[in-house]
Amino acid sequence: MTMKIKVILAAVVLVVFVVVGFVSFMDNKIEYATFNQAKNKKKTVEVKGVWVKDKDAKFDAATSTYSFFMKDDDMTEMKVVYDGAKPNNFDVADMIVAKGKVKDDVFYAKEILTKCPSKYEGKGEEVQKMYNQ
Amino acid sequence: MVGKILIYISFFASLISVAGFFLAHLGKDNFLKIGRTFFHITAIGFISAAVYLMYNILTHQFQFAYIWEQSSTDLQLPLLISTFWAGQEGSFMLWALFTAVIGIFLLNFVSKGDRLEPQAMAIYALVLSFLGVILILKSPFNYLWEAFPKEVDFGFRPPEGRGLNPLLQNFWMSIHPPTLFIGFAALTVPFAFAIGSLMKNEYDKWVQFSVPWILFSGGVLGLGIMMGGYWAYSILGWGGYWAWDPVENSSLIPWIINIAGLHTIIAQKKTGGYKKTNIVLNILAFLLVLYSTFLTRSGILGDSSVHSFVDPGAEVYLALILFISSFTLISVGMILFRYKSLRDLRTDNSKFLTKESFLFIGAIVLSLSALVVFVGTSLPIVSKSTVDISFYNNMNLPIAIVLMILIGLGLYIEWKQTETAKLLQNILLPGALSLIATIILFVIGMRDPVYILFGFVSLFAFFVNARFALRVIKTGKLNFGGMLAHIGIALFFLGIIGSGRYSDEVNLSLEQGIPQEAFGYKFTYEGITPFMDPNNARDTMFAFNVRLEKDNKEMVLRPVMFYSSFSDGIMKNPDIAYFSYKDLYISPMSLEEPSPFPKESIHNLKKGVTEKISGLEVEFVDFDFGNMQKGGKEMASGNYILGAILKVKDGQTEETINVRTQFVNGAPSPSPVTLQNNNNFYFYFLNMSVKGDEQGGTTATVSIVDPSKMSMGSQNESFVITAAIKPFISVLWSGIVILCFGFVFSIIRRRKELGIKFPDNPEPEKNKSVKTNKK
Repeated sequence: MTMKIKVILAAVVLVVFVVVGFVSFMDNKIEYATFNQAKNKKKTVEVKGVWVKDKDAKFDAATSTYSFFMKDDDMTEMKVVYDGAKPNNFDVADMIVAKGKVKDDVFYAKEILTKCPSKYEGKGEEVQKMYNQ
Repeated sequence: MVGKILIYISFFASLISVAGFFLAHLGKDNFLKIGRTFFHITAIGFISAAVYLMYNILTHQFQFAYIWEQSSTDLQLPLLISTFWAGQEGSFMLWALFTAVIGIFLLNFVSKGDRLEPQAMAIYALVLSFLGVILILKSPFNYLWEAFPKEVDFGFRPPEGRGLNPLLQNFWMSIHPPTLFIGFAALTVPFAFAIGSLMKNEYDKWVQFSVPWILFSGGVLGLGIMMGGYWAYSILGWGGYWAWDPVENSSLIPWIINIAGLHTIIAQKKTGGYKKTNIVLNILAFLLVLYSTFLTRSGILGDSSVHSFVDPGAEVYLALILFISSFTLISVGMILFRYKSLRDLRTDNSKFLTKESFLFIGAIVLSLSALVVFVGTSLPIVSKSTVDISFYNNMNLPIAIVLMILIGLGLYIEWKQTETAKLLQNILLPGALSLIATIILFVIGMRDPVYILFGFVSLFAFFVNARFALRVIKTGKLNFGGMLAHIGIALFFLGIIGSGRYSDEVNLSLEQGIPQEAFGYKFTYEGITPFMDPNNARDTMFAFNVRLEKDNKEMVLRPVMFYSSFSDGIMKNPDIAYFSYKDLYISPMSLEEPSPFPKESIHNLKKGVTEKISGLEVEFVDFDFGNMQKGGKEMASGNYILGAILKVKDGQTEETINVRTQFVNGAPSPSPVTLQNNNNFYFYFLNMSVKGDEQGGTTATVSIVDPSKMSMGSQNESFVITAAIKPFISVLWSGIVILCFGFVFSIIRRRKELGIKFPDNPEPEKNKSVKTNKK
């Protein structure tokens, strides 16, 4: 009897946990998207792209946001407003991943990851330079 | 050559050792000696290789590609030592080193008595074989001319190395990675015992001597993980101690499983139940270490982590896959092979209100937590997406609450049977204390209902364990390690409630000399102090002095920003004011230099394109290189004149003007140019940019401005910071320290199980093991 109750109880708790977990998981899943896809989504997404360097990029001290233009894999450009200062390694990054949402054709990013160029090729050049000296 | 030969010797010796131990397991006793001898050769080989690598690092042998990549002559000794593990090759070497060292102790231990020697050591040596394969493929002993055959010739030895990433130039770099790797290496031991038990088809004996090993691996790995958290918090300026980053998560998952297994194995020791659970959990912990290594070393998570990953190359990728799949296959295979005997083991049907069932539920709940982290961390591999960190937080919150209830009630629950009435009577006092403390926390601001519950059960766990620990200490006995660890975890959770749920942050733009209020403090930015960090000889660092004032008390915090030549970017380090009940955390964001030119007056003009600006038609014709020689060598010196030739159409009149700017040490001091017939506009040349058409082409940055709208030098520079209040974070750190002491005392208490009192009669025991194997 107690055994049965125990098993049922455990099963109920587990099922509840799994269901809640699944709902929470779907809620918090952040998918990769392009800017155009992001426009039609209300959820937070991740957009990969490159910084458009010739367009105005600046930090606004009043709102503590850094704004710049980014071009995604589909070559769509969009203004990105990042909640923070210019991210580390921003100038040398060859790829940027911005996490956030689109509102009125502006991408509001909560988080930005910068991916630096593969150091391997650079190393070869460095070695050669040192060797030639 | 020496290093590579040592690795090869270790690798082949480990294979012979595996074979020797395995044959001994099959009953061929005389092979045991071969297994032991070659195990020692394996271990000594790896240790020698590591010593050889360290020697070459200390003597700056930059002809080795790895040492050239990671090290340099300007590093101080602790950091120079830590370049050993700054890259992948060295990390694997370090892992192999610790696995070898622990292996020597393990062999010494298991060879004294009936302790699964042939079985466990065969598995253990096999792990070393795989580490050998990886070190052969990813050798730290490659010469530069082997790594870069096209670029350099045989025998080239550069005078200087590339140096250590400034992010890693820190005290924690010399201690955090080795601690983690000792933990990883130590987790091999319970795994070897578990697989060994399956091989021997004997599931009782190993629990008698494996608890101290499990405690050691869990304690050290936990310490390593938490050091990483402190590093992130205090130096790296991630703002918090835990970001649910894949790298952090991947070492957390095996730790949680290890802790789960620790609890059920204690239950098995007392009651004889949970045999299958213990086998599975201890196997899983090690497989998850391999999985963690795969996640963090294969480059597969490259897009989803703040840690940078290096693609190790296809060979190592395959070796890692082979490593993890081989041991998974061995584990699953052994469990299937012993399926019948495992099925016939006693299924536990203890009552609910017993210590053993509490330990089991605790292990299940911990495993669920590990599952949550596992799913979230693995998601980027199976789909093009990640999870938000709120997933981890929301899912682990109920788990933490249940854990606290179990930890609190657990001490009043007896083995085998508990009287409910007595239990209720016992929990009255700690329950009342927790209630009072919770009310106090409510009054000072804890209002979120879920967190009130979390706070209450954490306080309950704390009071119960503290009460019991005091009782034990009074008797002079040592068995309060577990209680101490649980006190630590309860404090840790209370610290999380304060610093996680009730932290507050604000962005401040502090104009120099002008105070601003936040959190009841007056913040004043007082300028920059340049300094040199002895750990980083290459870059000048800048401390940004921020004076904090409150109630006539004052202090200066000095967050740091500097340009790192190594990473070609700005590095930022926070500064923290530590108080007993809260931390005040300042992260630098940027320094805003005042510009006299209004933003809307600045234009990037493309060469040959006419633009309409404030009623003028402006075309950027070409750069004006002033008095520069061909090739522009003057630009390297930083002192030169540069400008733009602009064709400006004002109504009907067209005019060509040369707008020049004098650069002194690379800094422009622009001077205005006006049109002949129109003084309403000043033209300034600010910058040039020459790029391919896709990146914007050739452009000149100019300011075309109404002079009355310019603000000349009236403004000071502004230092922009994020200031955060983190309540009770000191409780969190003290919880961690107490947790670690809990592990230490538990190991001391269980030292007898490590062989001091264990019957020491190897010969007859060995024969017995042979008999069981013939089944």
